[in-house]
Amino acid sequence: MSAALLPGWPAAALVPLPVAIPLAVCAGLLATAHFLPKRLPDILAAVTALVVSGLCAWLAVRAGDGTVDYWFGGWEPRQGVALGIGFSVDAASGWIAAFIGLLYALAFVFAWGFFAHTHGHFQILMLLFLAAMVGFCFTRDLFNLFVWFEVMSVAAFALTAYHLEESALTGALNFTVVNSLAGFLMLGGIGLLYARAETLDFAGIAASVAHSGRDPVVAGGFCLVAAALMIKAAAVPFQFWLADAHTVAPSPVSVIFSGAMVSLGVFGLAKLSAFVFAGSGQIRDTLPPLMIGLGAVGAVLGGWMALLQRHLKRLLAFSTISHAGIMLTGIGALSAGGTGGLLVYVVGHGMVKGGLFMIAGILLATRASVDEISLRGLGRGIGPAGAAMAVAGLLLAGLPVGLLDQGSRLLHGALEGAHPYALAANLVGAALTGAAVLRAAGRIFLGLGEDPGDEAGAPSEEEREKADRPLWLMLAPCCVLLAVDVAVPADWVRTLAPHAVAAFTRQTLTGSLHEGPAWAAWGSVAGALVLAAYALFRQRLPGAVERPLSVGQSLPARALEGLHSGLIGDYVAWLAVGLALIAGLLALA
Amino acid sequence: MSPRLRLTLLGAALAGLLPGAVAVIGRLPEFGATIAAYGERINAIVPAERHVANMVSAINFDLRGLDTLGEEFMLLAAITGTVVLLRGRRGEETTDRAMRLPGRAILPRSEAVVLTCRLVGPLLMLFGLYIVVHATVTPGGGFQGGVILASGTLLAYLGEGYAGWRDVVRSHWLDAMEGGGAFLFVLCGLAPMLTGAAFMQNVLPLGTFRDLYSGGLMLIENAGVALAVCGGFTQLFLEFLEETRESAGPEESGEDSA
Amino acid sequence: MTWLPYAVAAWLFAAGLYGLASSRNLIHLVGCLSVCQSATYVLLLGLGYRWGSIAPIFYDHPPGTPAVDPVMQALVLTDIVVGATLTALLLVLTVQIFKRSGTLDPEHLRPIRRRGAK
Repeated sequence: MSAALLPGWPAAALVPLPVAIPLAVCAGLLATAHFLPKRLPDILAAVTALVVSGLCAWLAVRAGDGTVDYWFGGWEPRQGVALGIGFSVDAASGWIAAFIGLLYALAFVFAWGFFAHTHGHFQILMLLFLAAMVGFCFTRDLFNLFVWFEVMSVAAFALTAYHLEESALTGALNFTVVNSLAGFLMLGGIGLLYARAETLDFAGIAASVAHSGRDPVVAGGFCLVAAALMIKAAAVPFQFWLADAHTVAPSPVSVIFSGAMVSLGVFGLAKLSAFVFAGSGQIRDTLPPLMIGLGAVGAVLGGWMALLQRHLKRLLAFSTISHAGIMLTGIGALSAGGTGGLLVYVVGHGMVKGGLFMIAGILLATRASVDEISLRGLGRGIGPAGAAMAVAGLLLAGLPVGLLDQGSRLLHGALEGAHPYALAANLVGAALTGAAVLRAAGRIFLGLGEDPGDEAGAPSEEEREKADRPLWLMLAPCCVLLAVDVAVPADWVRTLAPHAVAAFTRQTLTGSLHEGPAWAAWGSVAGALVLAAYALFRQRLPGAVERPLSVGQSLPARALEGLHSGLIGDYVAWLAVGLALIAGLLALA
Repeated sequence: MSPRLRLTLLGAALAGLLPGAVAVIGRLPEFGATIAAYGERINAIVPAERHVANMVSAINFDLRGLDTLGEEFMLLAAITGTVVLLRGRRGEETTDRAMRLPGRAILPRSEAVVLTCRLVGPLLMLFGLYIVVHATVTPGGGFQGGVILASGTLLAYLGEGYAGWRDVVRSHWLDAMEGGGAFLFVLCGLAPMLTGAAFMQNVLPLGTFRDLYSGGLMLIENAGVALAVCGGFTQLFLEFLEETRESAGPEESGEDSA
Repeated sequence: MTWLPYAVAAWLFAAGLYGLASSRNLIHLVGCLSVCQSATYVLLLGLGYRWGSIAPIFYDHPPGTPAVDPVMQALVLTDIVVGATLTALLLVLTVQIFKRSGTLDPEHLRPIRRRGAK
């Protein structure tokens, strides 16, 4: 668009626009919101998100095999030393930012009129959130990364508490405290790295890290920054805030939280560990046990917890913990294949999970509840939503079609030889979360499963969302997301991925990208179907089979639920434990 | 978890972190011995290249202006969030009835307070403006000055009472100030791009070192920040003070959820 | 004693964590979070300091006079804004929580409860 108007500009000149445009729009909205017609903020926000998405996609294409670099304020590096802040867009970052823009545009369509009387405040916060995410994807400056990290957090805190129920406020409080601590840890880490590298530019820090050998200051900096990003990515044992916040946030906001924000934590961690910390042997040795261990535990724990929920949004929140764990194992594989799988997985997961949160929102709007058990059979009038939910559940479980599957197969391929346990954990996690979604779909839309299992004892709360939107308007963005996930041509991704990964990791990770075996995907789908069928038809099983199964599963279920206590003090203690864990692994490496 | 168990867990974790912390502290550069090359370089080149005396302002508005842009919008997000969350269904109407604690005496405002506020208020505003406009010369800048300006409006509340304060301070204007200031800042980034320069490149004449006019584009950015911060913080005060009023109707949840 | 500022930073962070874990009042909790944040101020300013240097403002002293690290000062300025925004948001949440539930004790608050366990 601008390129046609100003043909003299090189492509790189457009790099700041995906961040600057949403910021300008939201400042303009705030200044004039009182005088604008009611629907204008909705339209403006959706169009802005689409423009951002288009610009990012274009930058991704232009980046090709390399990167598009941009220095703000014209402060080009002198004698190789960075003076200002730079953006560095590689194809993978560009495509992920483009996906995020699309997700926002669809979330705005989904939330059409939902926030009509707020003078555009909802749209302002969401656009800020979008700008921060794009900045986070593109930046190559550590402190700038922190700034976008914090802007994301602050916008998210306010959006979480939007309903102003006691539960929403408490969830937002836990979210705010834990993520603020993440910000402080990150800043501390930045301080340490700056003390050693004397610069804030990624490339400069990377050079210094590579030279400093086994240095406690670098290791400490990594420990703090990694902990901060793992808190954002809801890695075990930092995951507690996620279930609280995603459960209580308004559904269009949860779409963004689960679809983009959490994965960005993993994305940031992958980028930093490949770009900045690849030169340190100590950190390279720490990454596999740390990421594979915590990722595998998270994948299984999140999946299991998801299966134990009856509150649909909380169920989906736990499934996000599981999928974030799966993504983390990709970092731990320490290979191009693992990182490539993780990047594809981020996009595929965001689409499917975003679609699922939209379905939860549809149920809230049309059936005034998200409680699986009290909704049993009530979904019959909205069959298309049920079909979409079933498809999404199968995709989560690993149905071998679409982006999500391609990502998980790349991950399987990377984990196959060296980390069989991580591969198994990934499959179990996918099966458990898929089963949870399929069970809920069967119960709500088909009226199956009259005898609830352990999920009956899970916490739940009545909740309502505004019901003034036609069903098709809410369902259309959800279907678009699922359709895009399925329709992206696999061959295109296959040719794009190797170059994109090489540019993303700045050629620090080696290995080819090969896809895992087909049996793995079918195995997790079959597992999900069996588990869902067991949950829905358990009353038909003979008592001798059913009773020991349910007794055996109840005790750990209650213990797990007890861990997720909702008390901020507990979360802080676990945060310290996680920090000690990372530090301990670094010391042993 | 019981509080005792929780503190034991925390204590164990912190004890586990202690050796790591000791190792890191032991290897950090000696306190006060030297500063990083990045900062040293900025001190060396910026006075000549940007004609400004205040290095911190130069970093905030020029070298690392993008950080400040993000920071400015972080503030905007927080204030928008505060407004959304505090207003709830209360809406924008105001009531003049203050909440009362039963049994607490209501003292009339003393004349000394009124006089002091009327004297100090304008002076404080003047001081705020001084801090804002001297951003590139002496310590201070848009953020600091903006906060002082916003506090100046609080003196109007102290001296003139709530109703008087609300007569002067209008929520719409504050929104316009805050959004307008932030918009001006983004514009300072975008406008240089039209000339073919980089985002936020300092394309204006740089002025004279140690003069009020020095730093070129930084001065406009600084004014935008001052406007936004002043509007934003006043909005914050207004929303929190509105909490001390008796609500007209029963409090309901969500701006228009449900 | 050249390690003292850094040790103080670590101590502040740990003390803040202890306060967060043991707090029985939300306003106290917000204060504890600020204590944690002060650790970052101390660390950053400590790293940017140099004995015998002036503030990085060359008004009374000519350019070239040894000055402390201006980058750290700029970072801390951003950090202060972060602190202000977080405190404002948390206090809003506290006000609203007190209105809804009548308590400020985090031990009595749950984001989501088991059915009937209210």
